[in-house]
This record gives sequence, structure tokens and C-alpha cells, in this order.
Amino acid sequence: MFTHHESLKPAYDVVIIGAGGHGLAAAYYLARDHGIRNVAVLEKGYIGGGNTGRNTTIIRSNYLTPEGVKFYDESVRLWQDLGQDFDLNLFYSTRGHYTLAHTDSAMRTMRWRAEVNKHFGVRSEAVDAAFVRRGIPGIDMSCGGHAPILGALFHAPGAIARHDAVAWGYGRGADRRGVEIHQQTEVTGIRVQGGRVVGVDTTRGSLATPRVLCAVAGFTPRILDMVHLKTPIYVHPLQAMVSEPVKPWLDPIIVSGSLHVYVSQSARGELVMGASLDPYELHQTRSTLDFVEGLSSHMLDLFPFLSEVKVNRQWAGLSDMTPDFAPIMGVTPVEGFFLDAGWGTWGFKATPVCGKTMSHTVATGHNHPLIEGFTMDRFARYQLTGEKGAASVGH
Amino acid sequence: MYRLEAGPDEWIDRSAPLPFVFEGKQYQGYRGDTISSALAASGVPYLGRSFKYHRRRHILSFANHDCNTLFQVDGVPNVRGDVTLVSEGMRASAVNTFGGLVEDRARLLDRLARWLPVGFYYKAFHTKRLFPRWERMFRTLTGLGAVSLDAARRTTPKRYGFCDVLVVGGGPSGLSAARAAAAAGARVALIDESLRLGASGIGLHDGEQRATRALIESVNGSPAISVCSATVAAAYYADHWIALADATRLTKMRAKAVVLATGVIEQPAVFRNNDLPGVMLASAASSLLLRYRVAPGLRVVVVAGNLEGYRAALGLHWQSVRIAAVVDLRADLTAEDAAAAAECAAAGMAVYRSHAPYEAIAGADGVVVALDVAPLAAGERGEAAGRIDTGKLRRIDCDCILMSVGWAAAANLLLQAGGTMRFSDALQQFIPSSLPAGIFASGRLNGVYDFEARVADGARAGSAAASHAGFGSASGADIVRAARCPSHAFPIVDHPQAKNFVDFDEDLQVKDLENAAQEGFDSSELLKRYSTVGMGPSQGKHSNMNALRVLARHRGVGVERLGLTTSRPMYHPVPLKLLAGRSFNAERRTPVDAEHERLGAVWMPAGNWRRPEYYAVSGETRTQSIEAEVAAVRGSAGLIDVGTLGKIEIHGPQAGLFLDRVYTGRFSDLKVGMTRYGLMLDESGVIIDDGVIARMSADMFYFTTTTGGSATVFRELQRWNALWGLDCALVNVTGHRAAFNFAGPLSRELLQPLTDADLGEAGFPFLGVRTGRVAGVPARLLRVGFVGELGYEIHVPASDAGHVWRALHAAGLPRGSRPFGVEAQRVLRLEKAHFIVGQDTDGLTDPFEANASWAVNMQKPFFVGQRSLRILKTRGPRQTLVGIELPDPARMPKECHLVIEQGAIAGRITSVAYSRTLNKVIGLAMLSPELARTGGDLDIRGERGEILKARIAATPFYDPKNARQRPVAAA
Amino acid sequence: MKIMVCPLNGPRPVSEFAYGGEVRRSPDPDTCTDAEWSSYVFNRSGSPGVKYEWWCHIASGFWFVALRDTARDIVLETVPAEAARRGLPPERAP
Repeated sequence: MFTHHESLKPAYDVVIIGAGGHGLAAAYYLARDHGIRNVAVLEKGYIGGGNTGRNTTIIRSNYLTPEGVKFYDESVRLWQDLGQDFDLNLFYSTRGHYTLAHTDSAMRTMRWRAEVNKHFGVRSEAVDAAFVRRGIPGIDMSCGGHAPILGALFHAPGAIARHDAVAWGYGRGADRRGVEIHQQTEVTGIRVQGGRVVGVDTTRGSLATPRVLCAVAGFTPRILDMVHLKTPIYVHPLQAMVSEPVKPWLDPIIVSGSLHVYVSQSARGELVMGASLDPYELHQTRSTLDFVEGLSSHMLDLFPFLSEVKVNRQWAGLSDMTPDFAPIMGVTPVEGFFLDAGWGTWGFKATPVCGKTMSHTVATGHNHPLIEGFTMDRFARYQLTGEKGAASVGH
Repeated sequence: MYRLEAGPDEWIDRSAPLPFVFEGKQYQGYRGDTISSALAASGVPYLGRSFKYHRRRHILSFANHDCNTLFQVDGVPNVRGDVTLVSEGMRASAVNTFGGLVEDRARLLDRLARWLPVGFYYKAFHTKRLFPRWERMFRTLTGLGAVSLDAARRTTPKRYGFCDVLVVGGGPSGLSAARAAAAAGARVALIDESLRLGASGIGLHDGEQRATRALIESVNGSPAISVCSATVAAAYYADHWIALADATRLTKMRAKAVVLATGVIEQPAVFRNNDLPGVMLASAASSLLLRYRVAPGLRVVVVAGNLEGYRAALGLHWQSVRIAAVVDLRADLTAEDAAAAAECAAAGMAVYRSHAPYEAIAGADGVVVALDVAPLAAGERGEAAGRIDTGKLRRIDCDCILMSVGWAAAANLLLQAGGTMRFSDALQQFIPSSLPAGIFASGRLNGVYDFEARVADGARAGSAAASHAGFGSASGADIVRAARCPSHAFPIVDHPQAKNFVDFDEDLQVKDLENAAQEGFDSSELLKRYSTVGMGPSQGKHSNMNALRVLARHRGVGVERLGLTTSRPMYHPVPLKLLAGRSFNAERRTPVDAEHERLGAVWMPAGNWRRPEYYAVSGETRTQSIEAEVAAVRGSAGLIDVGTLGKIEIHGPQAGLFLDRVYTGRFSDLKVGMTRYGLMLDESGVIIDDGVIARMSADMFYFTTTTGGSATVFRELQRWNALWGLDCALVNVTGHRAAFNFAGPLSRELLQPLTDADLGEAGFPFLGVRTGRVAGVPARLLRVGFVGELGYEIHVPASDAGHVWRALHAAGLPRGSRPFGVEAQRVLRLEKAHFIVGQDTDGLTDPFEANASWAVNMQKPFFVGQRSLRILKTRGPRQTLVGIELPDPARMPKECHLVIEQGAIAGRITSVAYSRTLNKVIGLAMLSPELARTGGDLDIRGERGEILKARIAATPFYDPKNARQRPVAAA
Repeated sequence: MKIMVCPLNGPRPVSEFAYGGEVRRSPDPDTCTDAEWSSYVFNRSGSPGVKYEWWCHIASGFWFVALRDTARDIVLETVPAEAARRGLPPERAP
């Protein structure tokens, strides 16, 4: 699936830092749509070993802001054909997605999201408690008696997919078109002269390039230090856990805004569960017991019959958070340095559209229209996006 | 398999037979039997079906290290039969079968295996048309046990434990470590998964058994050692915080030092049909025999790659089990091996050296009936495996094959704790390389195999741990690792027809892993993720090591060049009920909660408080009640509990200056006895909270925050105070005081008799604050304007709240006063166009957008958010808050319906309600500034996409001149 | 649970604390440029390393500053909040 390259070439037209879904997607579209093949993707670990392999695989477009809805809707559109494009089964499964509301103010926000979604042709509805009860068999509508469900935002296109497979698909597609993927190759420096990128230093040697795309999620600040750029990005761990496989009983994806938990059942029958961000900055993917305890308690609030289901494994990733829960994408003050970051807890679903828009941006040197709301300089202009109300959990 | 006569130290009680049902048939076990041992004793030929190919399976590890024996028991899925006790009347069945264990329709998949290679999932049925149907089928086939939506929630209380030294593992080195630590003076907790201590020390070797029992006695006799048996150390967390899971609860153990004596996990040999019923690990046979007196078969073959293989053969032989042959993969034997081999031969066993198991043969019922073996010519230097001479196959009849080819370190907890392992070529196992402070390893985990050496190693680790915890000093003894190699370097035999399983949970064969590596998934992490090796419920306990060997061979490197995949909690899966425990959810109630209940309050959540939404009155609908409450406030009087508001006191000479800095308005010039509205921003200029500030004296202010903001606002104010170091101090009195708003045109008249404060307009003007007694209770009274009527916010100590509430309520009742709730209050404040932070404002709203510039004093030298407001002022607002009205309550938009202008979103409704007072629908909306013209028209998209016409209205809607709030008392 | 040592209360589980983010030095709002101000408000030092952070022991309302290694999750020292006012010494593992 992936060609092994003995060494780095002395120069490339584009260097992409990070062989996760985003980086490989960008490489794929650069090669396929823009004819730019002299590309190296540098990965310090193994393909998809960062957040691409750690997320809870939820894909949706039920965001709050017009720029967000349009962006993620395009992503969902691209997801539909990805498996076929790759000739690889991504297990893309449309399941329906419920964001449960337990308070008036939550219902209000759900309606807001539904209205904005509908305006742009995205299928979402604010639904009542009866609809929730019918759509989610077995759910405890009283949530353990302390947070009754009033209704939800129901998003029919909500889906899950096999996360690693996306990286493999994009990676293979890029590899076949001549892109070089170098694993176990860590970037140690980026050379800038006269305000423009000229090259990259790595643990396997140096190379020259006029264009660098940084797509490294939780490792973004370290790369930004190399080009002396500052952003609002702060890094906290995000944990998740998975149960033993059981026979299918849960079709839709469930998120609770008040309990700050979410769950879906994978094709293998495992319950994939997550909750909110860890409360303090840390660059480690360690697990904690209180995470698993709190999440387990809330799982049983929602689905009390799961008492005997066992937790098999827990893990974590590093989330690069931003103050407005929207990414930071596009050109930067350093010429030739492009950024795809600030993906926090919302990055996996955007994999295809990031690849598309960032490849366009790198190829043309100008931000793709869909990412104009996500520029790095929006904070200086106090033009933050309003997405905090639509992140499922995390704050 | 069959039950032998009683033996010493058996774990079953033959005087207590227990009938139970498996797959619809009656069986009997004894008290103490596990489900697997009882079924094995009953001669049941196979106990389960494998995950993918639905092949018949029986016991493999008998140590909770595999998933061959997962059962659905009385509605509980995925019960581990090997370690779960049988109970009377239990009803069990195999998981993941279609039509029962015997008739399982999915067994057809075994025949299709050729067309279901690894990665098959990724390469088939992925078109948009086929996938949904394929996925439905796939999902039905996957999943092991089943959940029942009717099962009741189980709560299990948790427990905390504290010790100086935690020892995980009750085998010889663990027992010794516990003893040594206790001797040094430490309090020790000793954890073991099994019901009884001893682990591998209680095996087929008499001498080791005796020595181990002596250790157990010594441990049991020590008051400093707490033993937790039948307990799994499931996970290690920071600062030596270990999750211990037993059958009934989770214990959270804090230790000062941890000894990991977790031992090693026996590994299977890989050869064609190594998964047949009757093929198991030698340690499984040993446990079955000694604990449950179940013989593994009538004619047993031992596949050996180490000395332990011979020992197992001899041990079983002395327990009257017939060993037909020992098949040793190795060519070179040590003197010890040779002596043991000779003993075996003398006992009548056929001994084959340098032979490989090539294929196990199944009989009619699927159970093994023979093993084909082939000579193994020694491999050349660099070859992992020898070359098999398939021309010289020999068939050995047997009904049981025991595998004794080596072990893998049970290093999960050690790795979770941040330790590292390195591969020892000499031992063919990973051993500890670096250990973090406070973590110690001993015994076979540490590569120490000789019994005496294990005991000594345990003592070394125990004393080192005790010393680390502050007791005694470390013995400093050396670690004596095994001189011989206990694990075969490559117990894997290729076969052209495959079915040589590396991972029994996932049904992965050698070629599956090779194909994955061939595709480019050739690091241990990628191999795992693509092939799913090690991703099943046993998380690779007996597959990771062989998978690494296959990968190493494929890449032509040594195992040491490959990394281990990440070890994560849990070591064994832990049920949600144990982790959830009893689930405590904090709920806050105001001091007069019982009064509301008595008055028929219908509750709603407000943060973690509950508040009355409205008060239900018989004969009234909800809408009627709320309208009546509003009408009471406008017409006579109403009483609302606002006790959920945050309440803070600030004391000190610089209290006013502090408030000047944290609010947008000026408070240092607020007169004593007056109040002022306060708007609070964050550093980016966004509104985060609001409230009312009252100056009680020169040096003391009393102010409120929103209900939702009280804790975070107080905390943030404390931080500013710590940073600025002004001469003032903050006190959070939220819970200390109750607060009621008694509002309406009759409020002054009704309140005056209850209070000694002079409520006359001149003496107590609008926005004033006074102290006095209300119903005899010391109180602070504030004249505030939230609902737009003459009214008094009365703050009293929580302990007297009920008395005051009842007095106010009783005073108002004869004159038509009603208690009113949150919904009525929302309407009342909307009629005055007062915004609610977090409803009419969002996470980006600044004061300019909220039309609250009047509350902002930019002339002050500094306040939080000021500098950002200067920037925002030049940028101009992105939206603005306006009042709107609509004529017809039957065509009313909802909150968050959008304002549409020329097909684009131009804003949204933030608050809306029908006002009976004004007989129209009123609301607030956030709107593009270009549209915000009083009198202008708006299009609002309603529930079904219809357009509702609204008009922008001047605000406040009700009593624009605020005359109602400051009427002069009747003469 | 991870232990945090509160200067006032001693070793406590970390869930008893609120994290207040990194300590940032405010430029003088009266003399700084808009760009310097917005950078202060929004930008962060996101890389792993040793940094000063605000921490609060919730129950006692006690704020302090911790010098913490955000890669290894180890608190190197704690200082009183007032120290942040005077200006903290450069972030360096002692």
C-alpha cells in the first residue's frame, strides 16, 4: 500500500508535515487535482498514528455558523464517494445523530442550529422528547433522574467511519500518484529566509522546498515555534474509551450536551464513547480514572441496561483547541508556510474538505473560499467564529 | 476431558452439587467450579464458536487470557467462563451463534475463509449501493454477547484503599515481596486475580508447591498484609493510583510504591488447527487438574519448546493422566532438558526431538483426534524457523494437545506506569528496561524463572519498594535472570492451507499478518490496526508476541527492532457498573424549596439548581397560570424566589476601586444606600455576567451575579484580587442568603407593615438599598428594576427564609398576590426589554451589540475588557439587539428562528413571548446593524419554513418612562 | 487521581482544583498597539515546556501560581499569586 523510500530527496515542491488524515488528504488532492506530485509527507511516527487513529469517528455537519455549516456540509458530501474513490471500504455508515437537550436553553441552541442547517439545505431538525424516545430504544429519558431529556437536534446525515482507513486510503492514493510518504521522520526545523520558506530540517536529513503545509494537530505549537508564529492554540488531552463488542442495539450516534458525553456503536459492535476535554494543558496521552468513572456513570444514566457491558480500553489524543472552536487554516504571514490546525475535538469529520481546500490553497497560494472564515488573523480583527455552541462536548 | 477423583487442595466442594443449564441442556458442577471447568468435567466437546469463522472452540488458557469461552449468562453478555463461578440454576449459552452452539448457521463462514482474508473488510462491498446491506449483515455477525434493553441498572459502591506498598500478583515472587515489605514495617496490600493465592507456584511441581504454600501461610499470618484475592489490578494511573476490580466493586488504591509481580502469560504454538477443541496451554491443563480435578484428555500430546513442557508431561503423568508423546521443537537440549526427556521416555512417553506440530486433526464432533508432526531441520543462521520435512509426517493419535512453548511478559501495568521494556534475546521475552520512581518488578515478569531466584527477586523488590515508601532500606540484591531460555524463539509453523491461528479472538492466521505486512502495514502499530491483531477482548495477551515474530521474520529483523504496541487500561475488561459506582449528582435547592413544593411548583432546572417554572393551580392551564402570574405582578403583587443568584460581599477601603476594575460601570462613586446595574466582561470585551451592586457602607458592597455564573465569577474575581492585591476581600454568601423579589403596585403597601424600614419614596428611592427587619428577620432590601414594577428584592439569612417567605406570601394573598416563577419573570422582563446574559447574548456579544453602552464607562482608567472595547468600537458591531413585535399570537415565531433578508441569514430571535399586558407578541432579536431601524419590517422564518412578518419596535415595550417603578406612595 | 500540592492545603486530588490557564503578562493597555493587545488577549504559548500557570483550590478559593512541566505533568514549584504581580522569574526548571 505504501512505497518505502530509502532516503529523502534534496528538494520537493511541497512538504507536508504530518501523515494523518488531513496531511495525506492534502497530498492526495495536490497530486490528483493539481498535478503537484513532487511532494513529501513527513511523519514522525506511523501513518495515522496521531488523532486520526484516536478519534471517535463521528461525521456530521450540524454546526452553528454559516461558514461552519457550508464547510462541514462539503465534507459530508465528499465522504460519500471516498470509499469508492479509494477502492477501499471506509465503513462509512450513515446512522443519524442526536444531540440531546436537557434544558430550555439547550433546546434553544438546538433550534438555532437546526434553522441555520436547514437554511443551507443540511438535514437537521429540532425534535421533541417523543421523537427521541422513538428513535433511541431503551434510552432513559430522565437520565438517571437528574437531567430529563426535553428534545434534541436530530441530524439525519450523521455518520461514523473507520478512522485509520481514511488515512490509508488517502495515503495509498497519494503514494500511487508519486507522493513520497516518509514515516519515522521528524521535522526539527524550518528554514525561512527573507520571510519565505526555503527548506526543512529533519532527523533524516535536510531538504529544500518553497512550500510547507503543517497538519500536525496537537503538535502544532511546536512547529509554529520553528517559524516564529503565535496563535491562540492551546493543547489539552481528549480521552475516549471503548467497550467489548456486543450485538448491535444502537443505530444512531448520541451526544448529550448537558452530560458532556457521546456514544456510537461501531460496525464491530463496540461502543465508542467520549466526553469532554481534560481540564488542563498537557502534552501527554495518558489516561485517567476519573474520566472513565464519570463517563461510565453518564452512560448508565442514558442507558441503564448497560451495567454489565465492560470497558475494554481507554486512550487519549492531543487536541489543539482554539477560543472559538473553529480551525485555523490557510496562508500565514510566513510566505510558503500554510497551516491546517486548531482542530480541537472537531477535526476527523473535516478530513476530506481540509484536503480539498488546503491543496487548493497550497497550489494557488490563496485561501480557498470555504476557509475564509478560518484565517489566522481573525483573532487580531476580533472576528471570531461563533461555533462554541455547536461543539458537541469539549468545553 | 473428565473429572478425576478428589485430590488434595481441590477448589471444588463435592458435597455441594450445582445444577445449571448450558445451551438448553442440564449439567451439574460443584460449588467452586467455574463454568468452563464444570462443562469440561462433563465432557462437553466444545464450548463456543470463534468470532469470524465460527470455528468450534474449547478452553485455551483457562486464565481469562482468551475469548474462546465467553458466555451469555442470565442476560449478562460476555461472561468469562474460565473464571466465573457456576451457580445453582444458572442459564448459560455461547455468544455469537445463530441457532445455538451446535447448529450455528454461521459455521459456513469457516468454509468461506479462503475468500475472507485479512483486510477483506476494507476491500469488499464498499460501493454506496452495496455497503448499507452488507453493513447490516456484518453488524449482525459481529458483536459477541447481547444486551437486553430491559436489564436493570446496577449500582455498586466504590471503595478507597491506602497502603504503603502495593504488590500486584500473588505468585512466589509477589508473596515474597509482600513478606519483605511487611518485614520492613510497611503496610502492604497484595492483589491476585484468582480466588486463592499462589498462582504459578501451585503447579505440578511438589517442591515448589510446598514452598509456595509456606509463603502463603506466612503472608496470611502477617497483620501488615491485606490480601485481596479474586481482584484484578485493572489499570495504573498517575501517582500510584490503581484501579482494583473485583466481582462486586471498584477499589481505588493509593500506594506509595508498587511491586509488579504480574508474571508472564503462556503463549500458544502456531500450527494448522491449533484452535481445535482439545488444544490448550499446558498451564491451563495444570490449573484444570489441580484445582478442579479435570483431566485434559485420555491420551495427551505435549508440544514443548522449553523445560516446562517436559515437567508438565511428567506432572500430569504422576496425576494418572496418560501422556502419549512429547514433541519438542528444539534440537539442542540442555542437560536439564535431556534428563527430563529421559524421564519422560522412561515413563512410556514417545519423545520426539526437533519435531514440529504440523497439523492437528479433528474428529467428527470437531474435537482433536490426532496430531501430525514433522521433523524440523535446524534453520540456518538468521532463519527464524527451521525447515519442515513434510515428506516425513507422522500421525500421533491423541484427544488433547498441550502447548508449552513459552511466555510473554504480563507487562501491561508496567507500561501503563511509564516503564519501558526491552527484548532479551537470551530469554526470548521482553523484560523491564527502565522503571519510573516507585515502581518495581519481580519474578518472571523480570525474567527470573528459577523458583528460588523468584522468591529472592520478590524479596529484593519488596524491600526496595518498602524503602521507597520510607520503611527500611533496600536489600540491593542482584537480579538473577534465567540461565536457560524459557521461551521458544519461533513456535510458528507455516502451512499451505493455513488455519494456523495467531490471534484466536480475531481468527487471524499467519498469512493474514504476512499479507498485511506485505501491503505496507509493517510496523507493529500499523499491523495491529489493519489486521486487528490484538484488538479483540483479550487485547493481544496471547497473540502480540507471535505477531511480532511473524512481522520480524517478514522484515528480516530481530524482534528487538520492533516496538511494542501501546498498553492501555484495562488489563481485563471492567464492567460499566463498577466504574460508574453509585453516581452522585449534586442538586442545589434554595432554602424555600419546600414552600414551592407546597404551592404546586412545576420545576425546571437552572444550572444544578431547580426553580419553579410556574405554580400549577387547579383549573388553570400552564399558559393561563403563567399569564395570571404576570397579571398579578402588573396588577397587585407577585413573589418570586431569586435565591439562586450569586451573592458576593466585598469588604475593604479599595472595594470600590476593585469593582471599578471588574465591571464596566463606576462603583467607587456609588453613594452608600444606592444600587447600580453592573455588566461584566472578559478581556476580549465579551459580556460574561451581570448583576446589581449595592453599596452598604463606605467599605462594603453587596452584589449579585447570574445563577449560572456565580461560581466561576466568584473564582475569577478572587484571581483578579490575588493578582492586583488591592486592599479588599471577597466573601461568597450565595448559599448563606435567600432572596425574594416582591414586586407589583401594591408591594410597598403590603410590605410596610412587615418591616421597620421606611419604604417611603423619599426615604427609599428607586435603586436604593436599605437594611432593616422583615417579619422580624434582619434583611437587606433593594429596589431593583428587572420586572419593571415597584418592588423590593429582599435578602435574608437562609435559616430564616421560610418564615419570611410565608409572611410575604400571606400578606399578599388577600390582595391577589401570587407566587410567580421563571417563565412569568421572563415575560415581565421581556416587556421591559431587559436582556438575559447567555440567552439574548452569546459567547461573542459585546456591550455595543447588546445595546448596553449606557452601562459602560470608558472614562475609567481601567476595567477588564476596556482595551478590547476600544478596538471593537473602531470595528463596529457585527450585530445589534433590537425589540420586535408581531400582532398575532397564533402566528408566533420561536426563539432562534432566523431573520431572513434577501435570502440570507440576517439575524435571529433571542427572546419571544406573547404579552397579555400589551396584547401583542414581543421579542428581542440580534440583527445585522443595517436592518436595525425602529419601525422597519423583518421577515422571520417560522417552524414550517413560512415567513412571519415582524416590526422593529422601540423598547421598553411596557412603561417606556419607567414610571411604574418609582410611584409616589398614596398620601 | 493525580495529586496536586496546594500551598495552603497540602496534597489534594487534582479534581479539587480549577485550572486558570497560563500566566500571561499584560502589556500596558494605554501604550500598546491594537496588535499587541489582541495578541495578549488571544495568543497562547502552546508548546510543551515549563510554564507558570494559575491554579485555584476550589473549596478554599485559594489562587496560586504553579511552575509546571506541561510535557511531564510535574509541578516544579508553587508561588503565591502576588508573585505574578511583581513579575515572575523566567520559566526554567530549577
